[in-house]
Amino acid sequence: MSTAESRAELSLPSAAERRRKRRPGIADTWWRHLVAWIGVVIALFPVAYIVSAAFNGDNSLSGSSLIPRKLTLDNFRSLFGVQQHTTGHATFQNAHYLSWFGNSMIVAGGTAVLTVLLSALAAYAFSRFRFRGRRIGMLTLLLIQMFPQLLAVVAIYLIVLNTGDVFHFIGLNTLPALIIVYLGGAMGVNTWLMKGFFDTIPSELDESARVDGATPAQVFWGVVLPLAAPVLAVIALISFISTLNEFVIASVILETQQKFTLPVGLWQFIDQKYSEHWGPFAAGVLIAAVPAALLFAFLQRYIVQGLTQGAVKG
Amino acid sequence: MIKIVLLSLVNAFAIWAAVVLADHHKWRALVLLGVVTAAIDVIYLAKRWTVPLKFLIPGTIFLLAFQVIPVVYTVNVAFTNYSTGHILSRSEAISNIEQNSLTETSNGASYALTLMRDGKHQLVLALLDTSGRTFIGTPDGLHPIPKTRVTIADGAITTAQGYTPLKGTELAGIDAELSSYKVPVGGGKAIEPQGFDSAVVLEPTYRFDRQRDAFVRIKDGLVFRDNGRGSFVAANGAEIEPGWKTYVGMRNFGRIIHSSLIRGPFLKVFVWTMVFATSVVLLSFALGLLLAITLNKPGLRLQRTYRALLIIPYAVPAFLALLVWQGLLNDDFGVVNRAFHTSIPWLFDPNWARVSVIFVSVWLTVPYFFLVSLGALQSIPAELIEAAEVDGGGAWQVFRKVTLPLLLIAVAPLMIASFAFNFNNFNNIYLLTGGGPAVNNSPVAGATDILISYTYKIAFAAGKGQDYGLASAIAILIFFTVGTISAISFSRTKALENLA
Repeated sequence: MSTAESRAELSLPSAAERRRKRRPGIADTWWRHLVAWIGVVIALFPVAYIVSAAFNGDNSLSGSSLIPRKLTLDNFRSLFGVQQHTTGHATFQNAHYLSWFGNSMIVAGGTAVLTVLLSALAAYAFSRFRFRGRRIGMLTLLLIQMFPQLLAVVAIYLIVLNTGDVFHFIGLNTLPALIIVYLGGAMGVNTWLMKGFFDTIPSELDESARVDGATPAQVFWGVVLPLAAPVLAVIALISFISTLNEFVIASVILETQQKFTLPVGLWQFIDQKYSEHWGPFAAGVLIAAVPAALLFAFLQRYIVQGLTQGAVKG
Repeated sequence: MIKIVLLSLVNAFAIWAAVVLADHHKWRALVLLGVVTAAIDVIYLAKRWTVPLKFLIPGTIFLLAFQVIPVVYTVNVAFTNYSTGHILSRSEAISNIEQNSLTETSNGASYALTLMRDGKHQLVLALLDTSGRTFIGTPDGLHPIPKTRVTIADGAITTAQGYTPLKGTELAGIDAELSSYKVPVGGGKAIEPQGFDSAVVLEPTYRFDRQRDAFVRIKDGLVFRDNGRGSFVAANGAEIEPGWKTYVGMRNFGRIIHSSLIRGPFLKVFVWTMVFATSVVLLSFALGLLLAITLNKPGLRLQRTYRALLIIPYAVPAFLALLVWQGLLNDDFGVVNRAFHTSIPWLFDPNWARVSVIFVSVWLTVPYFFLVSLGALQSIPAELIEAAEVDGGGAWQVFRKVTLPLLLIAVAPLMIASFAFNFNNFNNIYLLTGGGPAVNNSPVAGATDILISYTYKIAFAAGKGQDYGLASAIAILIFFTVGTISAISFSRTKALENLA
């Protein structure tokens, strides 16, 4: 950043000025608006294009523009397989998008819920009990996470393949198999984050419950979990989004179109001359972004808090 | 109460699974299931000493099955030659070579075949050779049968005394038995069925000499010995395919250092990985901080709106953003080129592709550092800055000497974490450029390949020969690199102290 900008930043209003809560004048702030606007334009440029392309009548990449020439819902219709989409030389109909979307929601949702459960259980043990191997256990969790899981994918494939020979419902090309594979990563960083939060809940609370005759399980479900709701929500969101993004393991385990998750499906979609199917693709992207964006909007307060707190804590 | 119900469910499931496993004769898995179930029962029914375990067991089971075991397996593979052509076990490879080496003899004796069963219901081959002689072939050998005891029609035996020909439906399930059926005729040669109605004499080109533990080429006696690295190799360097999977010690690591074919690309990829991860983190931090400083002004109009809009890239799942950018940067139809009236090969020229990959990654990462920096800035007491100004510090000086150091205390660990993340950011590379474009002097590593995508290609890229042993060795190197970075990061934070 340039010297001029930082100087402007640091010419802070005096304490008296701040007490009066006067809005800073335009002379002082025009450059702030300028920088912010440049940032906003770059941040929103792809988003705007996707929204526009999704509703644009001309569904090829070369025909896309920031302002749609013709507003239409055809892209969505063809995406859902309701209607065949024809442009010049390309016919497109996708009967699988809804399955991909559903699969992604099932896998990411299931993984998120179970991840929160598993890592909360473990974090509770690490936070509240003193036992042999506790320190080693936590360090091991961190260490294992540093191994690139991506490259263990052959071993994972073999495990799922062999399991599937006997138990078909968790074999290759099944969603439950994918979920349980993802649950392998449920502990680790999540457990660390949660343990940190649990540590801040005063242990006097558990102790008084214990005195009243509650078992450790009752303390966990009745006292600690309700108090930890914010961190549970954040871990659920992080887990949901990272599962939604996962590409490699899903592409190895899932084999048929009906079972694909969104990343696998859309990636393959792009591989097949998508410049001609840009419209339906954009519509697909738009819908796929909705669940994560909604969750983000609802939990934004917690996330921003968590991030900044984490930052301040250092 | 709930505990009893859940535990009964687990046991009921285990019993069902046990029955299924027994059905499939998976005895080892059955024993494992029994042990795990018994352990779970003990842990949850015991009174006191297992309390922490009760909370740790559920996650640990998944951790063991899908992280620990795969990692142990991968580490194990790093010390083997597991790769295309070295997949089988040694004995499988030997029998495979023996099978593959069978070729038709030069005189090309062939027979018309009729499948029959003898009095003991054993499969036999009723054979009619080109000069009209008739035989019954069994796994014991070839036995002549007088013409008076057979009938011949349409150039094949149709009936034979003491034998019953197979009918159409009986042929259906016989493929497996037929494919391994051999009638030895001496000298290593054998008659083998080719389909249901003909048979030929095959002879091996290699013979396995058990005493010397080596293959001998029959026509010239050339000896192929076990080279200790999973192949039979002759003195002149000729090798018999396939080889087998075996331990090769540190050889894979040695290849990274010594083999010029691997070392060159590896070093290039390593340097680029460093450049990529470093520049993404530094640029994202710089831009995020700039935006944070810009918006960190009490009473600034539209402040909240700006913030909400600026973090949108953070709220979009990254894989979507990456796929969209791939389209926007397309050189022919891409929006970026059309918007600026340029025709830059954003993703197909090595240097432009590197720029694009960094740009898109920065685009994805800036919001994170923006939020983090904003939080850190707001936590710096205003009095500190004012005091510095009162002491006569210029704005730049105050920023350099007071604001930035305070900010870095908070943000530096996050930058290191972000570096470690981007060091292994497979998706950002793979979904945008696939590691490409190809660079002419390396068959595997593309211009934008980082270590993890390069390794992925070595392990899985079809067509180029998969080398899982080498890939696993590189995976271990990545593990140590990231581990070191994270260790530094953690020694600087208080996270470990909380463990006490």
